[in-house]
Amino acid sequence: METTHIKETISQVLQSILEHNNFEMNDELTAKDVDGWDSLSHMMILTKIEEAFQIKFKLRDLNKLKNLGSLVAVIQSKR
Amino acid sequence: MVFNSFNFVIFLIPVLVLYWSFFKKSSVLQNSLLLASSVIFYGLADLRFLFLLVASILINYGLGLKINKSAANEKTQKRYWYLGLIFNIGLLVYFKYTHFFIEGFVELLHTLGVGASYNSLTILLPLGISFFTFQSLGYLIDVYNEEVKPSSNLLEFSLFISYFPKILSGPIERASNLLPQIKNKRTFSYEVFVDGLRQILWGLFAKVVIAENCAIMADPIFNDYENKSGLLLLIGAFYYAIQLYADFSGYSNMAIGISKLFGIQLMRNFSTPFFSTNISDFWRKWHISLTTWMMDYVFTPLSFTVRNYHKKGLVIAIITTFVLVGFWHGAHWTFGLYGLLHGLYFIPLVYSGVINSSQKLTEGTRLPSLKVLLKMVALFVLIMLTDVFFRVPTVLDGIHYFRGMGSKSLFDFQSVFVSNTSILILVLVVIFMGVEWLNKEKTHDFDIKNLHLLLRWLCYIGLFVMLILFGRSSETFIYFQF
Repeated sequence: METTHIKETISQVLQSILEHNNFEMNDELTAKDVDGWDSLSHMMILTKIEEAFQIKFKLRDLNKLKNLGSLVAVIQSKR
Repeated sequence: MVFNSFNFVIFLIPVLVLYWSFFKKSSVLQNSLLLASSVIFYGLADLRFLFLLVASILINYGLGLKINKSAANEKTQKRYWYLGLIFNIGLLVYFKYTHFFIEGFVELLHTLGVGASYNSLTILLPLGISFFTFQSLGYLIDVYNEEVKPSSNLLEFSLFISYFPKILSGPIERASNLLPQIKNKRTFSYEVFVDGLRQILWGLFAKVVIAENCAIMADPIFNDYENKSGLLLLIGAFYYAIQLYADFSGYSNMAIGISKLFGIQLMRNFSTPFFSTNISDFWRKWHISLTTWMMDYVFTPLSFTVRNYHKKGLVIAIITTFVLVGFWHGAHWTFGLYGLLHGLYFIPLVYSGVINSSQKLTEGTRLPSLKVLLKMVALFVLIMLTDVFFRVPTVLDGIHYFRGMGSKSLFDFQSVFVSNTSILILVLVVIFMGVEWLNKEKTHDFDIKNLHLLLRWLCYIGLFVMLILFGRSSETFIYFQF
């Protein structure tokens, strides 16, 4: 799947959960840069992403998620 | 040897002088001096358990290396990892919770009609054990998850665990923050040094002026709550909430400030929590090093496991995490209840979706809007009432306390005798909170480096005067018991 398409879907997930779109979808984007993306909303975001891409993360995948770029890479590896 | 004692000053000054003179040439020299000082510091506080600290350091150091080396063999790696979990949790359970479990077991036998008795075991609690075992445990988990590389230098690792500004009551440090700082040679920075002094001064003020004076208001009320009016009980709860905050944030500011004198930046532990507008915001600012620890190592894996239950799963994960946060403070039902209540307060947030919205309502404002102010006050009252369970010896006492507070005597205004001392203490609390409000977006509560020189010195002198006039000595901190 194309990176841009993945990013577009992630962006929609973020908007639906965080209710704003004050972020830029570049590879270096981290949760810290986005208002409301903290440990509590993180899990809701991941669950929505799993549903959107029909994939399942593993607990160890979580540690690899350092920024948007690595999230996209993990999603691609699952598909 | 508490930070606010003369003995500590006598200990600190020579260490500082040596550190920035003869020992400044290399990180090895700096670390050797700091480790020796830490051993002396801990030994003076609790010589009996120095061996335990040393054993814990050696075992965790070895396990960190083993976990990393056996990465290719998943089975072996897991074995070492479990060993680390069992060792650290076992240490904590043995010293902190044995009593609690035995008591509960004997009580259960009694309920089942089996007569049993036990001689109350006296297991002494090693100072700082909750802090250093959590730090070691976090380190091992990070190594296992390949978040950090294990330390292969025993000197650096020993200092990472035992560094004296934080060994007794935190902040609970992370390997990713502290180890790299220990690895590199520290160079003297005048700005950092002065900022450290500033933070120590503020911590000292919070502890010996605010916390100690609030204690003289709260203690008589809590110690004899059966005979106090509802209104006095409410006042007692108010002063205790401020005392608890000033005591622990004061301690933390002193610890972080002292560490800055050595050029080492510890993590922030409090970030003006009373200016929060909801409970989730509050916990992002209260005892941050414990909350983030619990979030990373307990909440995240737990909520991940139950994520398919959506909001219900989230609530279960939050409540479990907060009950554990409560019990981390000690083996008492009061602490468990304190944690449980905090967990429950999250439920409306989870279901209303507010939990994800931005929480920067007070940012960039000189004065809060009425709506924000009301939210802050409501949250403060909630925290203050819950803190009652933090203070009372048993849950039953807490319930009686609340019953007293809910009685008609809540409006018995004649039961309150307004003395000059009580007005003075209230004024001091207002000054304390006022300064914190002004610095709420700064790097710490007394980060006044950008003030005009004259104003800055007025602040220092003002604090000194208040310290001398209203300071009360104390040999302990609330959080030392954890």
